[in-house]
Amino acid sequence: MIIAVQRRGDIQAGTFTAMAGPCEVLFEGCDVEQARRLTELAAAETLRIEHKFSRYRDDGAVHAINAAGGAAVRVDDETARLLDLAASCHALSGGRFDVTSGILRRAWNFDGSDRLPSRGRVKALLPLVGWDKVVWRNPEITLPAGMEIDLGGLGKEYAADRTAELLAAAAPAAALVNLGGDLRATGPRGGGAAWRVGVEDPGREDHAERVLEMRGGGLATSGDARRFLLKDGVRYGHLLNPRTGWPVRDAPRAVTVAAATCTEAGVLATVAMLHGRDAEAFLAGQGVAWWCHR
Amino acid sequence: MAATDRTYRSIRGALSAACALAGVGGVATSRATDVETAILGYAEPNRVSALETVLQARHDFGSGYLGNFKVVYDALTGASASGAVPGAAVQTFTRPSGRGSYSTAPGETPLDDTFRDARVAVSGGLTLPLGRLSTATAGLYGSGEHDYTSMGANASIARDFDRRNRTLNAGVSFSRDTVTPEGGRPIPFASMTPVGADLPRLAGDGSKNVADAMLGLVQVIDRATLVQLTYSLSRVTGYQTDPYKLVSVVDPTSGAPVDQLFENRPDARTKHILFGRAKRQLPHGVVDLSYRFMTDDWGIVSHTLELRDRLELGGDKYLQPHVRFYHQSAADFYARWLLDGAALPDHATADYRLGAFDGWTFGLEHGRNVGRDHRVTARVEYYRQSGDGHPAGAPGDLASFDLFPVVDAWIFQLGYSFGS
Repeated sequence: MIIAVQRRGDIQAGTFTAMAGPCEVLFEGCDVEQARRLTELAAAETLRIEHKFSRYRDDGAVHAINAAGGAAVRVDDETARLLDLAASCHALSGGRFDVTSGILRRAWNFDGSDRLPSRGRVKALLPLVGWDKVVWRNPEITLPAGMEIDLGGLGKEYAADRTAELLAAAAPAAALVNLGGDLRATGPRGGGAAWRVGVEDPGREDHAERVLEMRGGGLATSGDARRFLLKDGVRYGHLLNPRTGWPVRDAPRAVTVAAATCTEAGVLATVAMLHGRDAEAFLAGQGVAWWCHR
Repeated sequence: MAATDRTYRSIRGALSAACALAGVGGVATSRATDVETAILGYAEPNRVSALETVLQARHDFGSGYLGNFKVVYDALTGASASGAVPGAAVQTFTRPSGRGSYSTAPGETPLDDTFRDARVAVSGGLTLPLGRLSTATAGLYGSGEHDYTSMGANASIARDFDRRNRTLNAGVSFSRDTVTPEGGRPIPFASMTPVGADLPRLAGDGSKNVADAMLGLVQVIDRATLVQLTYSLSRVTGYQTDPYKLVSVVDPTSGAPVDQLFENRPDARTKHILFGRAKRQLPHGVVDLSYRFMTDDWGIVSHTLELRDRLELGGDKYLQPHVRFYHQSAADFYARWLLDGAALPDHATADYRLGAFDGWTFGLEHGRNVGRDHRVTARVEYYRQSGDGHPAGAPGDLASFDLFPVVDAWIFQLGYSFGS
């Protein structure tokens, strides 16, 4: 893996690639060698989580669950905690946030074209979607044969939080973790100053950056202006309603949320998107800072 | 904003708990609602004391919409310098209301002891985004005390440039103030009359209009340094005389007061204010240096130099020493006394606030977090104001009196803020 460390003013910036995108960790009060060591630590933790929870690798925990063919699978502590979280998100979102809905991607390919799947093809997949069909009795999970789970909706934010917590213990001063736009700060910069971070604004087609200020906590964005289908003047965004199998209607282009942790921010942003035209009304009731792009 | 009127319950609390169980706990740092409360005590020994309570709330409605609301309640008691000069004999003054009197011992600065008031001020404002780079803010203000009311409105816009490293802002505000002194407004330069005698009064209330305009620039120099520059123009028209202040007419030889006249100020004032500030992050904390220059057509020029140095103590605690120096020259019509027999000037005041003086402030503030979302601060400041107590040309007895006594004041503040 390629790690680069570069000095920017009084900050050391370490960069690496993981989770299918550019990742950055910023440190205060470090020399370049310390920053390199800490960046290696951050990259190792990020890649560990990516490998463990990727659908695509055949040696991870998620793969073992998906490949069990209807049999019960015993999971480790960390996976169990994420499954508990997935169950909570499903319950708290009224069934909108569902880690079993990834299978719908077999019908949907959001490549910017006008190729919508047939109603029959989507309907045929629905029996394989629904967390309520999963039997989760910690530490054993049983998926009906043919169903899959995908923790991708939690994994990147979870990795940002876990990595930040490692750095909070290991770094001499405050640090900021940015995994492709999902951020977590260990605390404010010296003097209570904010971290200024450029975040790609996914609500804008030109991908212009917005500069945000963070003093701690997490920040996450849901939405991707590049993943959609367009047919007969109707835009179909990439967030799918697990109950219908079709894209959420009237969803914002993107939602950004700031919360105590990146994971919490990510779940709130995703659930807001899944509320479609009510995204703002949902966010207004949550008591967090948010930005919604239509 | 919202496409429907549906309201949604908050899942944030339960979600936070679920995240904590998953091993990702965190401290909420982005607050939707912030509430700040403070209580401030101000005491000039043997003179004025004031107690002020402040309640301030700010709410983030999301997508760049912010609202704020503030209520201040002040209670003032004590005595303040009336403007009259000390005398070699006991002096008796009629209270400005015309009811009752107070006496001053030989050589003592006459203090009007009827200074007692309570004030309530309420203000609120809204900030909304204008596109991606601009914001607009509008607000209303109102305050009232038993003899003074003020109502105002303000509006401003701000726009970011240069990847948000530069912000330009412009604003205007307008307020209308009305003074309704007890007993009415004395006619300018009317002689103080004995208790029971009729003092000639102006008809109606005194009102003034205050119009302000400002233009500002905030520039980020590097990741650790920020500078700010603001120019403001302020125009005040209407009744600006203090209906409670006197100017003594003294005998040119003995210096003994022979008459006490109510003061008279011009009814227009234009101020220009230039303000500059630099903040820099250093390894130990933040240094904040500012300078303010003010000049007006009353002939007052003032300079304020202020330095704050925030020392981070770790664990969300800080200590902030603070020093401020203020100097102003006197207004053209400031006169500590008027000479008997000389022609009256167009305007005259002996209010020490329009005289030449220096003010020093030394302060220390400490703040710390208490629990997740609570913060307490404590501040103590000492203020010392001094002017020329023995001005040249003081006739007779006046030469031996302190005509500009030093004012010492202590300020204490306790603050508590929380958010959710």
